Amino acid sequence: MVDTKRLQEKAKEVLIRDDVRRLIGWKRGTYGFEAAPTVITDASQVDQLIFDATCVQNPASFISLEEKKPVPRGAEPDTRKIAVMVKGCDSRAIVQQLVEKAYGRDDVIVLGIPCRGVIDRRKAMKMFGDVTPGNVSLNGDKVAVEVGGEKKEVERGELLMDKCMRCRYPNPLVSDDLLGEEVEKWADDEFADVDEFEKMVPEEKWKYWEEQFSKCIRCYSCRNVCPMCYCVECVVTKMKPQWTRRSTDISENTAYHIQRAWHLAGRCIECNECQRVCPVDIPIMTLNRKLTRDVKDMFEYEPGVDAEAEPLLACYNPQDPEEYIM
Amino acid sequence: MGDYKFAKEKLAEVLSSLKDYKVFAPVAVGDVFRFLQVDDPAKVTLEFANSNVPPKELMFPETETLFKYRLGQTDIEPEVPDAGDKRLVFGIRPCDALAYTIVDNLYNWDFPDPYYQNRRENTTLVGFACADPCSNCFCPSLGGGPASEKGLDAIMFDMGDTMYVKTLTDKGEAFAKAAGLESAGDAEKKAAEKQAEEALGKIGRSIDTKGIPEHLPSLYDHPFWEQFSDRCLSCGICTFLCPTCHCFDIQDEAEGFDARRARMWDTCMFSEYTLHTSGHNPRPTRKERTRNRISHKYSYFPEKFDVIACVGCGRCINYCPVNIDILDILEKSKQAEAKEAKTA
Repeated sequence: MVDTKRLQEKAKEVLIRDDVRRLIGWKRGTYGFEAAPTVITDASQVDQLIFDATCVQNPASFISLEEKKPVPRGAEPDTRKIAVMVKGCDSRAIVQQLVEKAYGRDDVIVLGIPCRGVIDRRKAMKMFGDVTPGNVSLNGDKVAVEVGGEKKEVERGELLMDKCMRCRYPNPLVSDDLLGEEVEKWADDEFADVDEFEKMVPEEKWKYWEEQFSKCIRCYSCRNVCPMCYCVECVVTKMKPQWTRRSTDISENTAYHIQRAWHLAGRCIECNECQRVCPVDIPIMTLNRKLTRDVKDMFEYEPGVDAEAEPLLACYNPQDPEEYIM
Repeated sequence: MGDYKFAKEKLAEVLSSLKDYKVFAPVAVGDVFRFLQVDDPAKVTLEFANSNVPPKELMFPETETLFKYRLGQTDIEPEVPDAGDKRLVFGIRPCDALAYTIVDNLYNWDFPDPYYQNRRENTTLVGFACADPCSNCFCPSLGGGPASEKGLDAIMFDMGDTMYVKTLTDKGEAFAKAAGLESAGDAEKKAAEKQAEEALGKIGRSIDTKGIPEHLPSLYDHPFWEQFSDRCLSCGICTFLCPTCHCFDIQDEAEGFDARRARMWDTCMFSEYTLHTSGHNPRPTRKERTRNRISHKYSYFPEKFDVIACVGCGRCINYCPVNIDILDILEKSKQAEAKEAKTA
């Protein structure tokens, strides 16, 4: 795993540079099984930085979340770099943002962290209850968690995010500095979850999604946390013309979720943040995963793995399948 | 008032006997709890810590029609929602009932809101005391508590196989009669009091609110907000799931010539909330929006209505995906002051 001292020293080294504005990483959360993302601007704040299996959030999400005030006339815009710590999955967001030219490679400093998986707080709370754990560590196929002063060991699959159990990129795909030894890949992705879902007949699927979308309160946390949702003005909040009504009902909620998923076709890098943040447990990744597999099968394309690639919707191959054209 | 009880296995029977009421109770969809109108009493569960979406939606729905009209015509049909319906909320937690009493201030202020009022007046609140508060509950700091009776018509205590019901108002008595509850004795009452005391002891977090309302405005431009707002997603979780947040937007919707004016939940955490037609936004970044959320609850609202718009239910902490913790903000706001005072 990553040595905290080394991580903090590296952060300090980066932050004292004149050409770096801020650094995004993780710090200990105030309670529970999740760390907190943190944005720091001063080398004196690096002591708070950590990395362990509670560091579930994707720091790449916060690059585009920054809102800049208009630059006063005569003043120069701040073009200093942003440093960002990323796990393997998180790094795919940076790759895809670079593919889409959301910013330039020189605008970011990527501090890569080889990762062996992160904890799913929903699984953890079912297992241990509404508690705050002490030390959390990954040893081989086990996760060791200190709860109430007692050390408990559980199988990795029972506690880690589902995405970790099919992780193909435990090591960052883009990085200026790797903050630990590369780890060996332990899983593969056969889209078993999508296969399972597709066993349902259309009527069952519709009923399923109707129940799920009915829960939606349209807080837009899934959209806002998504590192690939960085439009300055989102189509669902646009008023003139208003493509989606603000009112919540099954029709508008469904429209929202379909738009969200389709805008991510060939772009979703599967960090799972949308599903993690949902306060009403909508299995949002199921939609994304289906599109991911279709894109892979139909166009042999995988987003967020090659910074030199073209965006899926910007490239054309005469051999592209067109069965969906009636 | 009276002391009653019913066997937990008779829950469905109790609910079915409330024929004169539209009954709302906690229903689980997977691991998500929400107060829904009861169509099948068997679906109601009392095995929940608290609902994900607060029952504020029963007084202030996510979306509601204010009136309907035809495009091009001047007649409008006012929609009087739930008029005269006798409603009953079964199993509401004390914090969420206390929240109603806070929000009442707003909906009774310059203009009594008939939509909200109607529902409030016609609703009986049967509370459910918390035997096991969550780790982020801090209700006693805001004048509530795991067995607080404020705003309730009756309160239930889970005594294992039975539920002890204490009625607090005439509405509560009427509920006990309608449900055909048996009388309870001193033993149940004592056990409930003991449980309430134990529950209070289990509350792990707190905030001393003294001085906060007066001092938050002095931190208006203080950089301390940024340590929280820098990671804020600007989503609606903390406000939509807050039982006291009450902001709404009003929009017109037309389908052909049939149109309606509806109001729907809105949140100061969205950038478009304060966006002017000119393009100017007085709260351009998440710093101003985070400051507004906290200051509204802990300073502007108490300044106007003499009560803090927070009940310590912990939802904004529990559901924030980036760990923006209101207690952490409030504690740090005190330190920020101290620092300022030193330099001054």
